[in-house]
Amino acid sequence: MKQNLYTFLTLVVLASMALSACGGKTAETPAAPAQPEAPSPTQSAAPESPTFSGTATITFTQEPDSLNPLYTTMFFSGITRDFWLKGMWSFDDDNNPVLELAAEVPSAENGGLSADGKTIVYKLRNDIFWSDGEPITADDFVFTYDMIMSDKNVVQSRYPYEDYVTGVTATDPKTVTVTFSEPFAAWLTTIFTYVLPKHVLQPVFETEGTLDNAAWNKAPTVGVGPFVFSEWESGSHLIFKANPNWIHPPKLEQVFIRIVPDDAAQEAAIIAGDTDIGVFLSSDQIEKLEAGGTVDVIAVASGYDEGWFLNVSPVNAHPAMLDPNVRKAIALATDRFTIVNDLLDPEINPVNSTYWDGTSPYGNPDLKPYPYDPEEAKRLLEAAGWVDSNGDGTRDKDGVELVLRYITNTRELRKNVQAVVVQQWSLVGIGAKLENYSSDVYWNGYNDGGPQAQGIYDIAEYSSVGSFPDPEASANFLCSEISGPENPDGANWQGLCDEELDALLMEQAVTLDVEKRIELYHQIGKLMYDKVYYIGMWLDPDLWSVNKRLQNVRLSGATPFWNVHEWTVTQ
Amino acid sequence: MSEPVATSSTSLIPNARQATRPLSPLNLAARRFRKHRMASVGLYLLGFLFVYITLGSLLSRGYCAPLKKDLTGEAYANCNDTSLKLQAPSREHIFGTDVIGRDIFARTIYGGQISVMIGISAAFVEVLLGALVGAVAAYYGGWVDSILMRITEAMLNIPSLFLLIIGARFFGGGLPSLNFFGRELTGSVIVIILIIGATSWMYLARIVRANILSLRERDYISASRALGASDARIIFAHLLPNTIAPLVVSATLGVASAIISEAYVSFLGLGVQGATATWGNMLDGAYQYLETAPWLWFFPGTLILLTVLGINFVGDGLRDALDPYSTRHV
Amino acid sequence: MTTYILRRLGQAVPQLFIISVILFALMQAFGDPVATLGARTPPKPEDKERLRRMLGLDQPAYMQYVTWLVGNDWQKLDMDGDGIAETPGQRKGILRGDWGNSLVTRRPVLEMIGERLPNTLILMITAEIIIIVFSLAIGLYSALRPYSLFDNIVTGLSFVGYSMPVFWLALSLMYLFAVNFRRWGLPYLPTVGMFDPAVGKTPAELIKHMILPVATLAIISIAGYSRFVRSSVLEVLSQDYIRTARAKGVRARWVVWRHALPNAALPFITLIGLDIPFLLAGAVVTERIFAWPGMGRLFIDHTERADFPMLMGILMLISIAVVIFQIITDVVYSLVDPRIRLE
Repeated sequence: MKQNLYTFLTLVVLASMALSACGGKTAETPAAPAQPEAPSPTQSAAPESPTFSGTATITFTQEPDSLNPLYTTMFFSGITRDFWLKGMWSFDDDNNPVLELAAEVPSAENGGLSADGKTIVYKLRNDIFWSDGEPITADDFVFTYDMIMSDKNVVQSRYPYEDYVTGVTATDPKTVTVTFSEPFAAWLTTIFTYVLPKHVLQPVFETEGTLDNAAWNKAPTVGVGPFVFSEWESGSHLIFKANPNWIHPPKLEQVFIRIVPDDAAQEAAIIAGDTDIGVFLSSDQIEKLEAGGTVDVIAVASGYDEGWFLNVSPVNAHPAMLDPNVRKAIALATDRFTIVNDLLDPEINPVNSTYWDGTSPYGNPDLKPYPYDPEEAKRLLEAAGWVDSNGDGTRDKDGVELVLRYITNTRELRKNVQAVVVQQWSLVGIGAKLENYSSDVYWNGYNDGGPQAQGIYDIAEYSSVGSFPDPEASANFLCSEISGPENPDGANWQGLCDEELDALLMEQAVTLDVEKRIELYHQIGKLMYDKVYYIGMWLDPDLWSVNKRLQNVRLSGATPFWNVHEWTVTQ
Repeated sequence: MSEPVATSSTSLIPNARQATRPLSPLNLAARRFRKHRMASVGLYLLGFLFVYITLGSLLSRGYCAPLKKDLTGEAYANCNDTSLKLQAPSREHIFGTDVIGRDIFARTIYGGQISVMIGISAAFVEVLLGALVGAVAAYYGGWVDSILMRITEAMLNIPSLFLLIIGARFFGGGLPSLNFFGRELTGSVIVIILIIGATSWMYLARIVRANILSLRERDYISASRALGASDARIIFAHLLPNTIAPLVVSATLGVASAIISEAYVSFLGLGVQGATATWGNMLDGAYQYLETAPWLWFFPGTLILLTVLGINFVGDGLRDALDPYSTRHV
Repeated sequence: MTTYILRRLGQAVPQLFIISVILFALMQAFGDPVATLGARTPPKPEDKERLRRMLGLDQPAYMQYVTWLVGNDWQKLDMDGDGIAETPGQRKGILRGDWGNSLVTRRPVLEMIGERLPNTLILMITAEIIIIVFSLAIGLYSALRPYSLFDNIVTGLSFVGYSMPVFWLALSLMYLFAVNFRRWGLPYLPTVGMFDPAVGKTPAELIKHMILPVATLAIISIAGYSRFVRSSVLEVLSQDYIRTARAKGVRARWVVWRHALPNAALPFITLIGLDIPFLLAGAVVTERIFAWPGMGRLFIDHTERADFPMLMGILMLISIAVVIFQIITDVVYSLVDPRIRLE
């Protein structure tokens, strides 16, 4: 017995010795940040601008794949460009253009827009330089266009250059002329949102034959903006340092971006004050995040609307889905107001009536969301011949039960909405089969078995947007884009083909007159509302958290960090 | 070094010769098991949980305001009333309500049935595969061993998460719903069982093989072989029973870890879908409410904990009981 | 012995080949790498079509495998979509040391693994050492005094740890020690990451940020391992030669250290040997929650975008490690237990 005790003691001593390294530090280190040393005024600040001070910490829930805009379409890569790679202009918190590289926004008045709408002339500012001091010229823009269109570069997207732009020329060192095959309505938000440094990348392109492997893609040490790239440690963080050479030098010394993939962990970091800015928070967490009094949650419209995309394909939709009255009945049988009221925040997430409600002013203000009216829904269903003839609680017609496939991804909120909706439908005799797909499968193309692309659904729920703040999203609704075996990459997954809608969508795409285009979108919205191709669930603005120590933050929907040069931190 | 009679007679399959003895090894095992304090605690725990998830369903009844009628059973567990969301435990909802106002008490009962079923079925698949592969490989040796172990190793080379995702990709959404004891189960339940079972047998196979490799060299096996016992008999009557300890330990830990795996799979968004509650997906929906609505995770979490604890205690007791040499004087 | 090792290595080659074929085949069901490109809205159809062609995703699966294995620098590819193959291929194939480029970042797979591996090893090795030490200590003591109060309490506690889903445990620890301790004015730990940007990358910061993830990994694993040790030791202690030793009057401590432990170590070594290569894979959930930039996250992040060159790279690296450690385990096995014949 005694010997066993010795054995045990020996082991305990051994174990504690082995652990002392860890345990000891546990006790000591937490004390360190308890007395926060005043973030030391930077030693490295450039002598000519000694005013940089403080670090803003931002959490990203996804890591950018690349920083080179040629090789990424990710949200979290795009928003870093507000720091280090400005385009012609940004958009402020009212979605008005804020000039960055351009000296003016081209218009008919200033001669920037040609009368036929097929030529746009961009005038560049004279006082803009790359962060290494090289001047920015029209050649950089021509180079950018060439790189996007080069078959040597496996770029992520050629939109809209491939389909609409016929050429980009440098009229003089400070003038860029873009010509189009036809008037292109969405030019303001899609052309030259970034520019590549020709003097850095052209030598790479010439030696390697491609930019695919350029070091600049991961470490773009030359950029143009209030900050300049400093460091990217894979999976961990990115650092951008103040750039004194930018026309609006920042106040902060650096921006530190930390990759935190888990939503709940991000919330913990926000509450703990380990991060100053976080995004993609959910409405029902606002109270918790703001409880400590150190964090503001800000809703920023970025055009996203949560909605139901109804499969109206004669090929693979439930037969009932082809009847507009049944589709209307589905809308009337769903109490979206209660859902928004109880599960979200009706102030932030009101029920929308069109796909474009979040993209003001393109949503039709005359339309009101379909009301909740189960009695009218029953009446419509009965008039359409859907009655419960076998008494199983679900309506049927010609031997087909009215059971709809209602699919979405695995997001918790959407799963909950599914459960609530199914119960609401049961009151009017509509049955449901629920499916949840992980996001990548949900968005898979036709040839990879994507449930939407293959039309294996009747109602698909997700949140979507056009080219915010531009409303352009026509491809999703055009007859020519219907996905199928012969068009596996088609973007229209609803099997939606409506000639009137097609004509309107085609017309707005070439309408440069903003007022006229708004009117066209109001017609489009009304048509889709009347025929019930889309049922709005709620407006889905981005929810950002901003710690109160960070001041002058004015986030916008299209270019969130557009005024980062004005940000300051208080101690 | 060889103790043929005693060891080989610890078989769980009683045969006529042993039954005639006054105190069979099984009796001895039962006696040892009863003395095992933790095992008894575990047994009571499991008994309580069994009553909870079966008879408890009689208590799942109440008024469902949105449907304007009284409901019982699983229908009540699925009744949601968003105006009652996130209510703390009260007289009407003794475990509180979840994010869409469903009764957590009722959901833990019906979720428990699914979770326990997943756990047991998956462990069954695991033990079946593991024991078979391990025993056959070790006993036959040579190329059989080579092939089986290469397969095992190939499986072990693939992190189980990867296998889980692949499985969900292959089967997900593809399996039809199944009627199981009058309950409609989504195909995803079957998928989860198969995925968990089929991705967890490899360690067991290795352990069984290692044990039998060393048993194989013992005299009593050579003796059996000399007496003309068939391979199947040697494997099932002599070798496997003598690896019963690791089998039992693995099977019990298997049930427990399958229940946890289910929660884990739910966390990755690949869990049981649709209205079907499981303890795992109840917990998954709750983790953003760690502080603000602790009852969301406390009850399913505690039930997982108690079940896993109970199973492990019992498994531990079984291990000690089934080992004829386990005595308390060591 | 040498012959045995050489033969096992020889067997490993076809084994790895088979694994790579199986994995590649499974990968085909993985989804479409250009389905979302990680963006909030799916890419334009014409971009998808062009990307598939340029990345070689439109090739039949076997051709993609051949390219992955031996490269495509001996053939010409159609990059501009005019139907004429004119651009020579660039890939050399894994057999010639080219592990391919990630479809997500377009960067070499090996380079990306190299960035993450050290982070993962720091975390996992620390956790593994703590797990081994604790489980040996607890398991041994429990086995030497089975059913004692200590045994019961420690067993109970370790099972409680074992019974908690890891994401739940990790978040609870984070909320308690990082969020609430700070709120209550107690010494607190950081929530996420590897260091505090205001302080910088110092060893002290690293250790501080490692405590919670390591604790998470340890708490869930110690139970299983210590149970294993306890079972093995109990098993050995009941063997005849131990009784004989005791009967001969050998001191109990000597019996335990000289006879029981080496024999009981056998299955434990197997367990650890099988575990070690997986340290390379990291811990998916723990790394995700604590935002630890390791291999587990690399894997799960790239799974979400069906980045098969990356996934193949990670999995083949782990497979190679597993093969090597299996050989090592078997060799150690035979050294510890002379009854095992390596033939």
